[in-house]
Amino acid sequence: MSALVPDDIVKNLEDLPSLPAVVMELLSSIDQEGVDISVLAKKVSHDQALTAKTLRLANSSLYGLQVKVTTIQQAITFLGFQTTRNLITAAAVTGCFAEGQCPGFDDKAFWRHSIATAACAKVLARRMRFNQDYAFTAGLLHDIGRLVLVSSYPALYQQVLAYRDTNDCPVLEAERAVLGVDHVVAGVALAEHWNFSDTMKMAIQQHHDPEAPGAGFLATIIHVANSIVHALDLAREENDLVPAVSSVAWTALGLNEEAYLHVFRETELQFEEITTILMG
Amino acid sequence: MSAAYQHLALVDVRPGMILSDVLLDQQGQVLLPQGAVLTAATIALLPRHGVEMLPIARTDGEQHVQEAAIDASAVDARQAQLFRKNDADNQNDWATGILRRYVLDYRLGRSIEE
Repeated sequence: MSALVPDDIVKNLEDLPSLPAVVMELLSSIDQEGVDISVLAKKVSHDQALTAKTLRLANSSLYGLQVKVTTIQQAITFLGFQTTRNLITAAAVTGCFAEGQCPGFDDKAFWRHSIATAACAKVLARRMRFNQDYAFTAGLLHDIGRLVLVSSYPALYQQVLAYRDTNDCPVLEAERAVLGVDHVVAGVALAEHWNFSDTMKMAIQQHHDPEAPGAGFLATIIHVANSIVHALDLAREENDLVPAVSSVAWTALGLNEEAYLHVFRETELQFEEITTILMG
Repeated sequence: MSAAYQHLALVDVRPGMILSDVLLDQQGQVLLPQGAVLTAATIALLPRHGVEMLPIARTDGEQHVQEAAIDASAVDARQAQLFRKNDADNQNDWATGILRRYVLDYRLGRSIEE
């Protein structure tokens, strides 16, 4: 077959499932001042499934609220606009792609990995005094390009998985060998299509290469979180493989063993709870 | 709230213990979320907020010891499988090696026992 080029991915994006209109609006307004919150809250409220999922996240122990929030507006009051927006995004994205399109691709394992990375990135971010909401969302979406490839090219992606199994290599390598493009390129294309912020795009683009100039600290956090989650075996994939940890990224975080043991524990606790909510 | 928890007096609380429930101060403000891992620094701050008793998750420590007793070789084997591309002799891959060691310590319950 002839290799794909990034433009092929972009052409196919139109055929992909779209996020609810209000979520697109939330994402595109990410850097805007003076967004009318009450209007957005009202719009989200019209989507009952989305609202329910978002509120379950808001009421989870992740945020330690002492009151139970029952409306989006309340969630914004107690958690702030940033956090609530990220919860809405998480709730929307995890329900957005159809499952079972590509035999051999384990959608559940994919989301388990993504949610665990989100949890771990959030835990790391708190330790590093970095924006936890950014870390959570970037962790959740760092591999979203894989779903783009699976949805757009299910038959080819089956070959990718077969190549990976035969050669026992990282999935990134298998994608490049079979498709000519990888999930990083596809993820960035989707991030642009869905109007993600530049920070988020950069994190998706550089999570395998956090040493690149200008990659940013978020990419470093996602890179390390990704490896931790593989090492903790949270996706429970038989042939899972821990990708090499960049020593530059590891050094940049500068955490000692005691800190990491806490990070592991907190990640596992949060992971279980979020998984129940997002995949339940 | 988790089913397996115990209320411990502050003097009995040790770093590494986990809150089984959200911790509130006397005004009802959240001090720490459920699932928070207590550190020496946090514990030292609690008297200032009038906290005397803490809801602590009961099972974790015991569970980990048990798991270690039952699964040590299985954990080892799974780690070897997950880290099969990590070459201990490769000087450029030391960070992966450290992660491997930490996760192994964690899985074998060598954690949090200062």
